[in-house]
Amino acid sequence: MTVSERPAATATPARTRRRVPPWRNPWRRPYVLAAITWAYILWSLVPVLIAIQFSFNDGRSRSTWQGFSRQWYCCNEGSVFEDPSMFHSLRNSLILGIATVIVATPLGVALAMGLTRWRSRASAVANGISLVPLVTPEIVVGSALYLVVVNLYQFVPLGRPAMLLGHVTFTVSYVLVIVRSRLLSIGGEYEEAARDLGANSMQAIRTILLPLLTPAVFASAMIVFATSLDDFVVSQFLFGSADNETVPILLYNAVRAAPTPALNALASILLVGSFLALILAYLVLRARRRGSDESALESLADWG
Amino acid sequence: MSFDPNDPALRRRRSRPQLARRDVLRGGVWLGVGLGAAPLLAACGNDSTGGTADGSTPYPLARPDKPVKLAIKDSNPPIDDGLDPEEGGTFNILNYAQYMAPAVMKNFGKKHNVSVEVTPYNNYDEMLAKIRQPGQSFDLVFPGPSVLSKMVYAELLQPLNHSYIPHLDNVWPEFQDPWYDQGAQYTLPYTIYGTGVLYRADVVTSVPEVGYDLLWDKTYSGKVYLLDDRQEAIGMSLLRDKITDDINTSNADDIKKATDSLIELINLVKVKTDVNAYSEVPEGTATVHQCWSGDAIAGQYYLPKGQTPEVLGYWRPSPTDYVIGSDVIGIPKSAKKPVLAHLMMNDLIDNKIGLQNFGWNGYQPPINKLSAGYLVDQGYIPKNLSNAVVVRGDFDKGHTFYEVSPSTEALWQDNWARFKAGA
Amino acid sequence: MPDPVSEKAPTKAPDHDRATRRLWPALALPGTLWLIALFVVPFYAVMSVAFSGQINIFNEPLPAWNPLNWEWSTFGTVLQDSFTPSGAYHEVWVRTAIYSFWALVICVTIGYPVAYYTARLAGKRRGLILALVLAPWWINYITRMLAWVNLLQDDGYVNKVLGLVGIPAHSWLSGSSFTVVWALAYGYLPYFIIPLFASLDRIDQRLLEASRDLGIGSVRTFLHVTLPLSRLGLITALVITALPMAGDYYTNTIVSGSPNTNMVGNQIELFLLEGPQKNIGASLVLVLSLVLMFFMFYYLILTQRASREATR
Repeated sequence: MTVSERPAATATPARTRRRVPPWRNPWRRPYVLAAITWAYILWSLVPVLIAIQFSFNDGRSRSTWQGFSRQWYCCNEGSVFEDPSMFHSLRNSLILGIATVIVATPLGVALAMGLTRWRSRASAVANGISLVPLVTPEIVVGSALYLVVVNLYQFVPLGRPAMLLGHVTFTVSYVLVIVRSRLLSIGGEYEEAARDLGANSMQAIRTILLPLLTPAVFASAMIVFATSLDDFVVSQFLFGSADNETVPILLYNAVRAAPTPALNALASILLVGSFLALILAYLVLRARRRGSDESALESLADWG
Repeated sequence: MSFDPNDPALRRRRSRPQLARRDVLRGGVWLGVGLGAAPLLAACGNDSTGGTADGSTPYPLARPDKPVKLAIKDSNPPIDDGLDPEEGGTFNILNYAQYMAPAVMKNFGKKHNVSVEVTPYNNYDEMLAKIRQPGQSFDLVFPGPSVLSKMVYAELLQPLNHSYIPHLDNVWPEFQDPWYDQGAQYTLPYTIYGTGVLYRADVVTSVPEVGYDLLWDKTYSGKVYLLDDRQEAIGMSLLRDKITDDINTSNADDIKKATDSLIELINLVKVKTDVNAYSEVPEGTATVHQCWSGDAIAGQYYLPKGQTPEVLGYWRPSPTDYVIGSDVIGIPKSAKKPVLAHLMMNDLIDNKIGLQNFGWNGYQPPINKLSAGYLVDQGYIPKNLSNAVVVRGDFDKGHTFYEVSPSTEALWQDNWARFKAGA
Repeated sequence: MPDPVSEKAPTKAPDHDRATRRLWPALALPGTLWLIALFVVPFYAVMSVAFSGQINIFNEPLPAWNPLNWEWSTFGTVLQDSFTPSGAYHEVWVRTAIYSFWALVICVTIGYPVAYYTARLAGKRRGLILALVLAPWWINYITRMLAWVNLLQDDGYVNKVLGLVGIPAHSWLSGSSFTVVWALAYGYLPYFIIPLFASLDRIDQRLLEASRDLGIGSVRTFLHVTLPLSRLGLITALVITALPMAGDYYTNTIVSGSPNTNMVGNQIELFLLEGPQKNIGASLVLVLSLVLMFFMFYYLILTQRASREATR
């Protein structure tokens, strides 16, 4: 029995066929849900667009439009390019983000591969430990790391080294979740086939598994980068002194002090930079898609 | 791509999911092993700077009538004479936010080829936490008399070498030999200020005799701010309610009563706390803000286009009730550029640079030439804010915060945390 | 359709077996060691500071690494102050729970329809809508809050729009619980939607069609088919959102700043970063973790049970 037969279930002539009212028709266009979704998207993104608009404000206010001006970007006193602390924070955020990706992605991919294929009790415990950072409030992670760096790991100075350690710790879980769900759906038959053909495990991983995982690896790298750039709490606990401030810390402190549209400008620059990085990664991913049936976007959202 | 949970082909490959009971037990075994290794950890990592304190302290507590000469230890000598200033790299300052003129910092940076950065803090507790973090080094720090003795005891500051600071003569005599640091061995004065209330003169219709009552006035609900400083806030409440004249009291009941008054403010006027009166009152975000006198003077520089300083008003209590304070400059022991630090200190008490700094942050430096009359005449202080100026007589009559024992501090901090927990 | 290839039991040569068995743990080792050193040990450090018995002249606790030296007085006081109704922190905990609850209600109410639509009904525009829904991940959290502060100021657009309708201007940024709850929901919704989206995406369309074919209406189909199938995703989403939200402190500092909206995170920040009594801060962190761990274990057990059911 197929669905398409339903509207004419009884063999009545066309003119007495009952039209199903819209609210009873399960295959109608989902107007309400679509409206909710678009309303959510607008609610979610429009404030940010308005914040970008105010970064071009001619005047100190961030809520009253006083005209268009590029003064907050360059090159007056108080603009982003003239204020060394803003510049440094941007640089710190980017360096930290890239470093986190470089460390966390291989660590997480190896962890995912190991945990998925390794069947034992110890792996279940390791599995549990790896997933806990995902659900732990950042303040717990941040304060624990702060206390341990100050009291125990004193060879790790506060600042960039400590922040790197902190960022990698809580982003590894994201890599684990994304790569693992992809691994589960790939299954083991490709590697088995490779091994039947004579490859050893390492070769099988390198030539078969890793290329199949590429979309997931890229997706997780992107998420790690975004999360690291966005991180506030762990950074606030571990940054130490001003020359290690990242953009979120600067924005937070400045919002409470004397905020000017320069903050909006800094936020806009970071936003545009992140999106450019994202689009770049997406294009690279799309170009490299070889037989994978999952688009890059879907990999990002695939949280099995 | 989605995979069907019911697909039998995939059944084998699902990994065993999370913790079963045996896994929890096994995890417990590992945890026990880890804990057993804890005594090994006890050997590493330490932080010993002194024993516990319970009212008595191993360092002297200075009072205006009991001045203290801070000890100079052999383990912490001043730098030698005649060294060359360091060049290149970053000059790290630990200071309140927006407390030193950017132009002063920029000129200093250009002259000595360093980039000057400021790490901000909101109160002394934060400052102490930052300066004590291992692996941190700052070149200049701005503490106050109420934390000086313990900083010297903990060897957080290094003694000054006066050969690099010839401008010391510019400073008021009582600050060349202050009660909290006789002989100016560790610090130079930076600013002097009093604590009062800054308000919008165009919104506040009448100022009561005890101006602090403005903070309790419901008409300004939503725009009332206290200083985010436990000493200033609780001290103000002690004086307003006339609970005691001793703003450094260790009497638990008095402190509790004063804090309870502050807690009333939370629901009454939806009070908030920060240290930004200088920008918030001019911008209209705040109508009544407990503030330091320098905030009132600096406020004129944060007014929006088209508004004049007449919209601001500053209330201060009578000289005997005025809370006076001073901030000092010190050089941390861990400073990587101590010679430059001395040179910057010298600059800040120079007549011209001191005036330039004042012209930006509004806080008076206790420099002889820059007297109250001079500053008003030169137009740095608007007429309607002339009561924001601190005169030498204020120091003799007013109250000041001085250093107290750790147990008293803990008492104040617990009450402050109670206030911050909400009504 | 079961695949005949994958149905075959794998036959591995014995030496491959041994090498394989050693390979997977070896791969997992660096990550596991990292997490132990930087997640488990720090947690132990929190306990050492919370249970420390000695303070130095700065009122800071000296960590007690040896469990035999642990002292329970500070932790006990904090527990007492948190859970007795007249305690200093009781109000803060209750407030945190209430804010998290309402923010989650908003997240579910808005997030579920959005996730459902994006996962199943978006049709041709699915890529675009998914991209737009995912976009907030790439926007700094503080930036998004900053954007709302701009709008909610007394002369901001929100008050202007309300003014058009005749509603008097409201002071949104002065200690308003309403603002904080909506700000939390706004901030955490993107994190809520994604796991839910993944789970809703996986539901086989044939199941829904079968239910309709049996004559069951949309609402009952949703309640009896869709909702149970997405239950795991919903719980994942709730856990991923609720637990971090409970420790949030920067949201209410940015949009409110009044002590009346302080959450537990603010108290922890006060004691750890802005003052010397770090043992109180560490104790609060421990209590928070214990409370949340309860929910976390519940979640882990549920996922385990659900996976076992799925593979039966």
